[in-house]
Amino acid sequence: MSEFKLTTVDEFEAATNRLLETGAKVGADAWQIRVKNQTPHCKFGESGVCCRICSMGPCRITKKAPKGICGCDVHGIVGRNYLRFTAGGSATHSDHGREIAHTLYETAADGNYKVKDPEKLMRLAEEFGVETEGRDIYDVAHEVAEKGLMEYGKPFGKLIFLKRAPEHTQEIWKREEIEPRAIDREVSCSMHMTHMGCSSLPEALIRQSLRSGLSDGWGGSMMGTEFSDVLFGTPREVETEANLGVMVKENVNIVVHGHDPSLSEMICEYADSKEMIDYAKSMGAQGITVSGVCCTSNEVAMRRGVPMAGNFLQQENVVLTGACEAIVVDVQCIFPALGPLSKCFHTKFITTSPVAQMPDSDFIRFNAKTAGENAKMIVKTAIENFKNRNNDLVYIPDMKQKAYVGFSVEQIEKKLDGVANTHVDEMGTMVPLVDCVKSGVLRGAVAMVGCNNPKVRPDAAHIELMKKLIANDIILVVSGCSAQAAAKAGLMDKRAKDLCGAGLKRVCELADIPPVLHMGSCVDISRMMVLASRIAKDSGWNISQIPLVGCAPEWMSEKAVSIGNYVVATGIDTYLGVEPYAYGSDVVDGLLKGGLEDWVEAKYTVEHDIDKLGDLMIERIEEKRTALGI
Amino acid sequence: MLLFDIVFNGNDSMYAEAEKAVNDAIAKYGEDKAVGFPDTAYTLACYYAETGTKITTLKEAKEALDYIKTIMLRERRLDSAFNSGVATALSAELIEAMKYVDGQKPYEEPYLGHMTDAQIRELGVPLVTGDIPGIAVIINAAPSVEEACALVKSYQAQGNFVCLVGGIIEQLKEANYKTGFNVRVFPIGENISSVAHAVSAACRTAMIFGNITPGDKKALQEYTFNRFRAFVNAFAPLDEKTVACGAGAIYYGFPVVTNDMDYTPSVPKSLIKQPKVEEFNATSLEARDIKIKITNIDIPVAFASAFEGEIIRRGDMQVEFDGSRVDCAELVHTCEASEIEDHKITVVGPEVDDMELGSKNSIAYVVKVAGKKMQPDFEPVIERKFHNYINCIEGVYHTGQRDMQRIRISKDAFAAGFKIKHIGEVLYSQVKNEFDAVVDKCEVVIYTDPAECTRIRHEVAIPTFDKRDERLESLTDESVDVYYSCILCQAFSPSHVCIVTPERLGLCGAVSWLDAKATNELDPAGACQVVTKERPIDENLGAYEDVDEAVKKFSQGALEHVTLYSIMQDPMTSCGCFECICGIEPFSNGVVIANREYAGMTPLGMTFPEMASMTGGGVQTPGFMGHGKHFIGSKKFMKAEGGIERIVWMPKELKETVAERLNKTAKELYGIENFTDMIGDETIAEDPETLVAFLTEKGHPALGLDPMM
Repeated sequence: MSEFKLTTVDEFEAATNRLLETGAKVGADAWQIRVKNQTPHCKFGESGVCCRICSMGPCRITKKAPKGICGCDVHGIVGRNYLRFTAGGSATHSDHGREIAHTLYETAADGNYKVKDPEKLMRLAEEFGVETEGRDIYDVAHEVAEKGLMEYGKPFGKLIFLKRAPEHTQEIWKREEIEPRAIDREVSCSMHMTHMGCSSLPEALIRQSLRSGLSDGWGGSMMGTEFSDVLFGTPREVETEANLGVMVKENVNIVVHGHDPSLSEMICEYADSKEMIDYAKSMGAQGITVSGVCCTSNEVAMRRGVPMAGNFLQQENVVLTGACEAIVVDVQCIFPALGPLSKCFHTKFITTSPVAQMPDSDFIRFNAKTAGENAKMIVKTAIENFKNRNNDLVYIPDMKQKAYVGFSVEQIEKKLDGVANTHVDEMGTMVPLVDCVKSGVLRGAVAMVGCNNPKVRPDAAHIELMKKLIANDIILVVSGCSAQAAAKAGLMDKRAKDLCGAGLKRVCELADIPPVLHMGSCVDISRMMVLASRIAKDSGWNISQIPLVGCAPEWMSEKAVSIGNYVVATGIDTYLGVEPYAYGSDVVDGLLKGGLEDWVEAKYTVEHDIDKLGDLMIERIEEKRTALGI
Repeated sequence: MLLFDIVFNGNDSMYAEAEKAVNDAIAKYGEDKAVGFPDTAYTLACYYAETGTKITTLKEAKEALDYIKTIMLRERRLDSAFNSGVATALSAELIEAMKYVDGQKPYEEPYLGHMTDAQIRELGVPLVTGDIPGIAVIINAAPSVEEACALVKSYQAQGNFVCLVGGIIEQLKEANYKTGFNVRVFPIGENISSVAHAVSAACRTAMIFGNITPGDKKALQEYTFNRFRAFVNAFAPLDEKTVACGAGAIYYGFPVVTNDMDYTPSVPKSLIKQPKVEEFNATSLEARDIKIKITNIDIPVAFASAFEGEIIRRGDMQVEFDGSRVDCAELVHTCEASEIEDHKITVVGPEVDDMELGSKNSIAYVVKVAGKKMQPDFEPVIERKFHNYINCIEGVYHTGQRDMQRIRISKDAFAAGFKIKHIGEVLYSQVKNEFDAVVDKCEVVIYTDPAECTRIRHEVAIPTFDKRDERLESLTDESVDVYYSCILCQAFSPSHVCIVTPERLGLCGAVSWLDAKATNELDPAGACQVVTKERPIDENLGAYEDVDEAVKKFSQGALEHVTLYSIMQDPMTSCGCFECICGIEPFSNGVVIANREYAGMTPLGMTFPEMASMTGGGVQTPGFMGHGKHFIGSKKFMKAEGGIERIVWMPKELKETVAERLNKTAKELYGIENFTDMIGDETIAEDPETLVAFLTEKGHPALGLDPMM
């Protein structure tokens, strides 16, 4: 076995620089250049004090002009902006979940989409009150999908999934009046509240931010996760690889990018078929390699072991290799820059969703009913493009790491069963994990999520924090681009146990896991909510008492703020490396970083010094331990 | 209290005791007084394994205390708890060592204290083969004497080695429960510090078989964690010192199962709370991932390798069968499938009930086997296992082989309903179990009728043995086309590879060329692989490209070259469980051989354990080589250096064992009569000067040979 060594961020950057040289040759633009052009950023925007909600403005608050034209003060403006930002993220995740629900509705025994995890379907049916006895599985699937879709617009009641939370958490939500009603309603209500002449009371705006966030985490995202599992299988531990080195020079390279697995699953299916492989060979390639970027990548990696070419800020790099025949995208986090960039190479930039249409792309409209044909056409397009490669431009950095991914709650439960003792313990619980925490073998856990952001040295915050935490016997559950940063570095290789403190190392050895557990894409942060709830139930602690914190050191999107709000509202302290656009109001800022604790037993902490951010998390975890007397 | 704090406190207490013990000893004997445990080359083994430093004097013991203090970390992290656990074990080892200063014998039966190197080496083979699936260390008194006995018995019946510390020893004594190394129940000591002797055994296993460099803490921990299948059962009430020792055990990979429900939190797969003592066994085995080979044989007594060493004294004996006095035989006989009725067991003659108490009787058992892949060459291989099979029966004892076996059935076994037919049941089940790849059908006929026994012995068995001996005689290294590699030991000794040839059996003494061949047939992907001998480099040295390739492959690159016949140039490595070791004696140009059982000094100034520590663990040490007893009479014994005429010294008992074959070989090779008379032993010389004088007087040929180095 070759010696195990983490790949460093310096090495990532050296590879990127080499690719940027290729870019320079062909006159390509790059985010590194655009960041320079956009710096310094507008302070009014960044602090959240700019209001452009009506056409009397835009108004921006300064010492000299402390009120907008309507008289709204800085707290109202910042609060409204914050809520709109949240609603944007919540809408995005939830609409993703809705698409998946529609796909579930399209399943048929002989259709493009089938039910791959009937067991989970049955559990959901029970949860949703759908009759299963003696019924065809597809009838059940359709009714569950419909019931799920109703969650978006039901006129009365609260979200069904809220019942998954511990009683104490549910009571808090009720007490604080932040229990989400229908998913879409919370987005609409947010837009309504922030309309000119509605709410300007910061407390009300932040309360709705929490509710809108919860409708994402415990609604739309959770739906996206659960229905994806029914459709494509609940993730199980699978071995894969990460970083650009997964692209194969001799093969047709198709890169899937975005968030919705419906399309990418289908592409993987076809790319794997003999027919397509033979076709690729007839075109002079040795085979077909599908790899991924961003959360679509996380989805197919977790279920199929499809390798991960990179995360958010690496999306241009895959094109810069000169070896990418097609970059196929669905929704969210896709740089419009990919269009012009692809024109500098032979790469086909294929957009597929009416939600994400972009200039300089080939639009192949993807539809659940015609998914098979669409996917086949995309794969063929890529294959036929192989011959157009300019071999002089091809450079794939020889850089990749092995990764074990696929740690759904179900898989974690199975791993825990593996270290339980059948003569003593009950199976199917989180008790072994709780015991590790109680005894001090593990100090706690950090749920690290989120994006890349050029405001932070990309990937460095994720990787350095993870290294610091695992060395302190703190286990990581990660998702999204954070997960890919870990995988690229090698932190999802089981040999990374040697970088851990003695406690986490032993846990890794006994449970046969890497120290950083890949739980999925960004909608899969809902899995972390379920995990926290299970831990609370099996430990007798409230979620806020668990030595567990959330962290998004490099976050950038509206979705991330929505996530942050539901994580905090669930009782988990959340640590950010980038300020939300809210520091312009000491009231809003104070609420987020302090006042929320009185409402939901958790709050935000923002710290730009990443090392210090790590220290703060460790401190908080130890505080929680002390409070528990463990 | 928090778990880590309990560990820290327990560590502090044990350390304070160690400090006092060392200071008291210094006050009494002075700093220069020697320190060490008897019959070991690894003194003090735990400290040596952890640090690479041997402790030989009280001054060094005091220095060790300073080191131990440095690893007593107090952070609220498992790393600190683990280090404190190790510090506790090292402190305990010092406490125990102080008990042995000045030749004191601190332990009296049933307490045994320190385990010798020879005992550890003896455990090597059964640990490797899984005959000893695990090592249980039981601490404190069980809730009742009955539960104590039942728990120990449950482990013993599965073949596990059981170490005892504290109150449980008195409980077993009270119940007259047989204990001792031979029955694999090893009462160590009364105080918790004596658990250091169990840790010492684990550390020495790592150094002896695993070739772990003393001081390589990480490699030591990985070895014990991955390969040494020990676990701890600790009865309530636990105290801080016991928990601190537990932290050490868990660090080394040995889970602790306890019925103390409130004192500490649980830690998955590491510190497990089990209120039911009757489930300690199953809970522990699962925690340590030990799989027991289930041999459910329908007999009224237990069947397990733990009973292999059981001795039945005359007074405890119901009846015996003795091939040296009356006609007896044991034989495997290959038949056509149509001639055999599977699982038929017939007893021809009287049953045990019909025999007089204390009587000596005849017995002959013929195990008929049939199978498409069965070969006559496998008959002796199967037959040789009978000793082991019959010995594993609780209350039945077997020695010898062929027509010279002796069997005793104890009164207890008889009272439990054990009959002659049950021997047949055991033979049938085990042959089918272990040789299922070649034996399709098996039938057993047991004769106790004296006339039938005489007939079987003289008309069937002896002619068969003669034929086999002829075949064995004809089997030489030159007459066969292939050799076999054997890596049976690699579970324990990861880089050792044996090359087994007809004239050179495995150094454990347990694997002959025929055994290796059968093992290969039974499991073609298993421990023994064919090694061709088509590309000789030097036939005198026994160097072959094929052999080098095999050794390189199976040692994962740790070894590049091995010669079959030289102890000076690329000698074959040893795992550590060798029966004998030979080492060069420079004054006489010869070699000295010592066997594992020999406890005295050799003219090299080294005991067996000390010589043995020179090699083992898969390393090549020119001038030292481990080997089987049978190899001593081989024409290939260090042939490259001149052969057996180099042997100048052996323990008397070993000399007598090998005399017949050795003398025959000497006569054939050099025309020397009664060669063994020229070889020294401990009654003649224990130092080189006296030995050379003796050899000169006898005209030993080695004196005239070229020096080996």
